[in-house]
Amino acid sequence: MRNRKSLKALAVSLALAVSFGVSLTPVHAASTEILVWADENRGPNLSKVIAAKGDWVAGYKVVIRTFSSFDALKAAVDAATDLTGPDIIIGANDWVPTGAKSGKLAPITLTAAVKAQFNASQFFDLSYKGKLYGIPLDINNVAMIYNTKLVTTKPTSFGDMVTYYKANKVAKGLKAGLCVAGGGMSWGAHGVFSALGADAYLMKKDGTVNYGQSFNPSVFGNNVKTYLLDSNKKSNGFFPATDTGCKDNFLAGTVPFAVIGNWEWADYVAKGFTMNLMPVPGATAGTYGKMFGSVNGALLTSYAAKHGSEAAAKSLLVNLFASTAGQVAYQTYEKRPPAEKGAQSSSVISDAQKGFGSSASLAGIPQIGAFLNNNKGGASYWDSAPAYWTAVLVDGKDAVKEARKLAAIWKTNVISGQADL
Amino acid sequence: MVAFFRGKLAFTLKVILLSIISALLILLALSAFGQKQYVIGIFIILVVFGANFTYLTKVSIPLKFFYPGLIFLLGFVVAPIVFTLTMSTYNYKTGNYIGKTEAITQIQKLAIEPDASGSTFDIIVGKYNGSESAILASDTVKKQYFIATYKERFDLNAADLKLNQYQVATQAPNFTALADSELAGADKLLSTSRFFYTSEYFVALEGFDVGALYRQKLNFLSERDAFQNISTGAIYEDNGKGNYANLDLPTEILEPGWRAPIWFENYSKLFLDPKVREPLIRVFIWTIVFAVSSVLTSFAFGLLLALALNKPIRGRRIYRSILILPYAMPSVMSILIWGGMFNTEFGAINQLLGTNIAWFQSVTFARVAVIVVNLWLGFPYFYLVSSGALQAIPSELNEAAAIDGATPRQIFSKITLPLLLRILSPLLIASFAFNFNNFNLIYLLTGGGPKSTLDGDIAGATDILISYTYQIAFGSFTQDLGLASAISVVIFLLVASISLYGIRKSKVLESFV
Repeated sequence: MRNRKSLKALAVSLALAVSFGVSLTPVHAASTEILVWADENRGPNLSKVIAAKGDWVAGYKVVIRTFSSFDALKAAVDAATDLTGPDIIIGANDWVPTGAKSGKLAPITLTAAVKAQFNASQFFDLSYKGKLYGIPLDINNVAMIYNTKLVTTKPTSFGDMVTYYKANKVAKGLKAGLCVAGGGMSWGAHGVFSALGADAYLMKKDGTVNYGQSFNPSVFGNNVKTYLLDSNKKSNGFFPATDTGCKDNFLAGTVPFAVIGNWEWADYVAKGFTMNLMPVPGATAGTYGKMFGSVNGALLTSYAAKHGSEAAAKSLLVNLFASTAGQVAYQTYEKRPPAEKGAQSSSVISDAQKGFGSSASLAGIPQIGAFLNNNKGGASYWDSAPAYWTAVLVDGKDAVKEARKLAAIWKTNVISGQADL
Repeated sequence: MVAFFRGKLAFTLKVILLSIISALLILLALSAFGQKQYVIGIFIILVVFGANFTYLTKVSIPLKFFYPGLIFLLGFVVAPIVFTLTMSTYNYKTGNYIGKTEAITQIQKLAIEPDASGSTFDIIVGKYNGSESAILASDTVKKQYFIATYKERFDLNAADLKLNQYQVATQAPNFTALADSELAGADKLLSTSRFFYTSEYFVALEGFDVGALYRQKLNFLSERDAFQNISTGAIYEDNGKGNYANLDLPTEILEPGWRAPIWFENYSKLFLDPKVREPLIRVFIWTIVFAVSSVLTSFAFGLLLALALNKPIRGRRIYRSILILPYAMPSVMSILIWGGMFNTEFGAINQLLGTNIAWFQSVTFARVAVIVVNLWLGFPYFYLVSSGALQAIPSELNEAAAIDGATPRQIFSKITLPLLLRILSPLLIASFAFNFNNFNLIYLLTGGGPKSTLDGDIAGATDILISYTYQIAFGSFTQDLGLASAISVVIFLLVASISLYGIRKSKVLESFV
């Protein structure tokens, strides 16, 4: 009797369970939705764009999912599955090589008319093995700013800045001469490397990479000795090996020159600084250190095809992200320099953003992830660049010897990375 | 009350509760099946059946109590170990994440190339003669117009078409455009469609309004499980490591690859690949030094304080409370604060000492800093357990020894310490195992550094095995999860062996081991 009762209960329980479970099963995302993933800044701003105009692709609803940070977005992208993955990711250009290699991103072909609306080097950033994986959205770059309360004349060479620092270090209580406030000691500091003679890769005048040549470590190492070290071969304090405290010190008036990012210009304007943006002046007057200009992209994923929304996602990329109207609408909220040429001349673009643009046009080079992420030389650019500053400015190692190691690493990475372009 | 728990109402409530739990689990199982995680899905279904069987029958009363614990043990301890063990035998890294079937699909999709001039067309998707899927294509520069179905192309004259302001054809004879609602439903089909252009080239959609001209570059030879380059004839075969590789040039592989079993290759790399082996040995030695030093210093300091405060002194309670504070504070916060205190330029430690030490740039200082911070985090625990253990040692033993003429030092070394060690051995071993895998401290304090990157160092001077493993798995653009899993398995075996040895040696838990 008891067994019967138990069996009945078992049947009832399972029946209830199945019915309840099935009734709760979520319906898969409708195939008429295009799912876009973005970080904590871009997500809400894109949502505003979509709220104002939702018909970027006729018959489709654009759904924006915002993540709490750029890192959280990256982690979600790494863990995405066919079912949960987005159709489009607003991501960094250096996600392209690994995303494409792993089959997470899908290529897109643009018409000549759409291509003409962007700088060719921006497509370089979002390409892997000759295929384009997204639309350039906003430009990330850095530029040097100087404090006009301290420095009255614009520096024309690296030496000008060092001379000023040495002359005023004690009198004005300077904590450093030049520091990197935005972009870190690898990406943000490339302008300083380049100003002293070390470029991650050299470009020809036609905009292609010069594979036959790399930087001269003796010239660079000796420039470091001349400008950044004292007679005891220790750091002279002009250029700190770390970006810690740089922004605060510059804002406090204890550092006269700083490399800042174009995403944070408003902080400096709010403190009364003039946007006298310029590239880092080179060792020879009239030359400048080349700074990376990269783009964030709206990247097409391979999940879109699995969701049955690939054509729609491609249409959204073209209609919203690659159009003047779309980029203007987005940058009205996001306030970064847009990548699209029509949007660049729009009135929504601030003078500060234009200042970054002119600095980039004077001394900018494309950020080529295939070279910079490559670690065939023993370390990637991202790891080796800050390691050089630490080795020379903190550990007191020989600037020329370390420069030779750096040159060897970068050269190997560029040659090896060539296959990924 | 007893009647309530045994009556019909109780039984009904049990059935309802089980149903709800089962329903939620079935929901999870369905989600797992939806994501093609069949093992997880089947496991959850088995858990549901097991739960209903356990709680609705009287097959085993003890099982009713053990069942949740058993399930959590299986799901969150055994399963991750099995998964890690399995993945350690796979080529599972950047470029080799997906399954083979998916990889073949993606290679086929990527194996197309545009024509030399990168031709694109404005298109309208629709039907030809009312039934056949087709596109109405316009090349506004060359003034070329055509309708293409899957099998044919029909060139059109502009005069026969209705053109919009951009000279794009919007209407053509025998062609009916699809409505927006129809387009949305046909996305999956349209995205994979290839509309005829020539015998070599086809038009594929790049959105609903644009088509591009492509030709196939690689053919999949299913009977041979290989790809062939149509123009060069090169054959790409499964290399047994998760990639199709060129037979004549094995380093040339097609991307993406897939997760493929490579059996013990990840393990052999640990011993045979000098790039992995050499840093691993250095890291292993430092891990042992770090774990032993951390346990010894924390235990010694904790015991010292416990001995000092074991005697009645004024304000003992206040001292005890203060000593427990580092333990009460979240360790993440403590580590970050210590990190700031060790900062070369602004840190409190350099300012107090009047030095300018680059704590995290020097190998020796960084290691000292790591052990000091771990001492701060660890001594309150040992103070607490030592205090408890000291009170458990009968005072008569000390008194008897004192009467026999033993000095306080002799009493401590011959009586108190051996007894303490006997009581605390399991805790010391557990602490060693914990510090062996103390990822948070290393990651937050030094990030594993300092590291001579320019000299080719892969591991940092303070990297311990677990932080080194993390770096291999997630620390760079090329993630090698298979190799990281192999190192994790080795760590697991090491910690398990050392712990087991320690437990056996100390003769505690004899009835369990």
